[in-house]
Amino acid sequence: MKFKTFAAFVGPSVLMMLLFIAFPLVKVFWQSFNVTQPVYETVEVEKCTPGFLTQICTTEFQTIPQLDDNGDVVTRTTYVGLQSYRNVLEMERFWTAAKAWSWSGIMTIDFWKALRFTLMFTLVTLPLVVGVGLLIALAINNAAAAIRGPVIFVSLLPFIITPVIGALSINWLFRGDGILTALLEHWLDRDLALFAQAWTIELMMMFYRVWHVAPFAAIIFYAGLQTVNQDSLESAIIDGATRWQRLRLIIVPHLMPLIIFVAIIHLMDTYRVFEEIVGFRSQGYVISLQWLTYDFLTPDQAGNRSISRASASAMLTMIGIAVLLVPLLKRTWRDHRGTS
Amino acid sequence: MAEIRLSGVTKRWGSFIGVDKFDLTIADREFLVLLGPSGCGKTTTMRMIAGLEDPTDGEILIDGKVVNDLEPKDRDVAMVFQSYALYPNLNVYENIRFPLRVRGVDPATHDEKVRRASAMVELDEFLHRKPAELSGGQRQRVALARAIVREPNVFLMDEPLSNLDAKLRVSTRAQIKNLSHELAVTTIYVTHDQIEAMTLADRVVVMEKGVVQQVGSPTEIYDKPANTFVASFIGSPAMNLIDGRAEGGVFRADRTEIANLPVGDGAVTLGFRAEDAVVARDGGQITAPIYTLELLGDATMVSVRIGGALVSAKADKTFRAEIGEMISIRVPNEHCHLFDARTGARIGD
Repeated sequence: MKFKTFAAFVGPSVLMMLLFIAFPLVKVFWQSFNVTQPVYETVEVEKCTPGFLTQICTTEFQTIPQLDDNGDVVTRTTYVGLQSYRNVLEMERFWTAAKAWSWSGIMTIDFWKALRFTLMFTLVTLPLVVGVGLLIALAINNAAAAIRGPVIFVSLLPFIITPVIGALSINWLFRGDGILTALLEHWLDRDLALFAQAWTIELMMMFYRVWHVAPFAAIIFYAGLQTVNQDSLESAIIDGATRWQRLRLIIVPHLMPLIIFVAIIHLMDTYRVFEEIVGFRSQGYVISLQWLTYDFLTPDQAGNRSISRASASAMLTMIGIAVLLVPLLKRTWRDHRGTS
Repeated sequence: MAEIRLSGVTKRWGSFIGVDKFDLTIADREFLVLLGPSGCGKTTTMRMIAGLEDPTDGEILIDGKVVNDLEPKDRDVAMVFQSYALYPNLNVYENIRFPLRVRGVDPATHDEKVRRASAMVELDEFLHRKPAELSGGQRQRVALARAIVREPNVFLMDEPLSNLDAKLRVSTRAQIKNLSHELAVTTIYVTHDQIEAMTLADRVVVMEKGVVQQVGSPTEIYDKPANTFVASFIGSPAMNLIDGRAEGGVFRADRTEIANLPVGDGAVTLGFRAEDAVVARDGGQITAPIYTLELLGDATMVSVRIGGALVSAKADKTFRAEIGEMISIRVPNEHCHLFDARTGARIGD
């Protein structure tokens, strides 16, 4: 293909990617090393209150933002190096707590608390999503042709639902007076308060995420199952392989590139867990890295937003994803080199 | 040691009959070939023996024991597929070892068995390779090694040579023949290629539309086809078939007259093989202009058109003539096959 033709096809999408992905990324990266603050000035203000015969006047000093000619706040950006990262990571507090072997001490630091949950959430849901997805795919594949359509529809349903709505509906189902709580209480014959402690909330969040994402994995795996060599399967049947051995030795290796694909997508998605925190209103107990970034961006009472710390937190989230993806990408690269 | 008996084996899908009342006993150590065109039911028959397909009716017995309800793995058969059916993620060694591994055979014996099987099909040098790194012929040899490694009672081969190129097909065919001689195991071999059937089989079963047309040794099938289907399916080129009428022992058709045939009056189909006919300038029973002339190297194939059909005769390799030139074909009476024109069944023996 001529370079001109190639450029004409690829150009627009490269431009869009530069504009909407690369540029913001660079900007966030830059912001994480710089702090932009309003410039304040101290002015002497004389305040007088009306009084009988004489006014009572007091003079005081006030710190107010400097305004330019247009009446806008003047800001100044200063390079702070890794200070924003230090502010997010709070390493001194971390080391003090770590030296004292105080897990609860570490967990009082927002970043480490968020990292703990994010990592656990990601690593626990990953095998569950792959496993449950594979089970659903096998169920669809083995369902009679007549009911396959409805089975696919029903199993895809959780994936179609908007995440926040899905999380909210789980919230409603399991809250104090929710029907499932009532059912569980009736069944277990004891009072339950699933939103009263962190671990049950985390459990429900993971349950929700697996329920929500497994259909996506299932539909990918179902497509992969259609390409399994039937002769190989029949050959394995004659060779004496059990159902489990056929799954382990033929089907799963065949699906491995898809499993890696689903794992990569899921890792990237789950490490940025956010909807669950909002949907379950769990920030009092459990927070995630993405939620932490959001929290930094929320204006405080003075109307200031910690953009620099939010940027640092976002960069740290990205680094975390990259670290988790390395083994998977390494494997994909090895397979790619092996086949080419 | 395994004798296989099929008794009234039938396979139906709805109203479609795949295999119709198949009766046959396959002797121990026999090499049986199921031959027929695509969709004739030969592969279905084999799959029913393997246990991959359940017969709608009838019984399958291996060594006198009904195996209809047995799982494929419990029938002690090994199967070789047209598509090789190798396990792409396992190397050659592991592919061959697979049946031993999943059947829980003592691991201490695996290496020796795998190496013996791979040596039999000359794969020793490729044991560490993945199937994707092998040629078609090598892949099929892996499949053969995987079949022989656990020394099964019955070999089933489903068109194992069909995916190979012509040259490789000949050498792999020879290898299969040699293997079957060495191993002396009951083998059922499915093919649509009559040359494979003729070269490999102890006995051939010719099938069409789910029905057995003829069972016999390759010579019987070739020399005495039971009907016009078998006659037209076996041989290269296939037997010439001319529709005509017989009256007082004389067969007459378009440009054809053959006397002194042992046949009653009525519509008959006359058949003869190209190599049994003699091409002459005149004096034969069929006289027609040459339609085509094909040089085969060892002979010259002369074809004429009789009625709607193309009739071929093999002439000497030095025979030359122009297309359109009149020639005469002589068919010795002892090489004439007669078939009922309506049913296609052979008349006489």
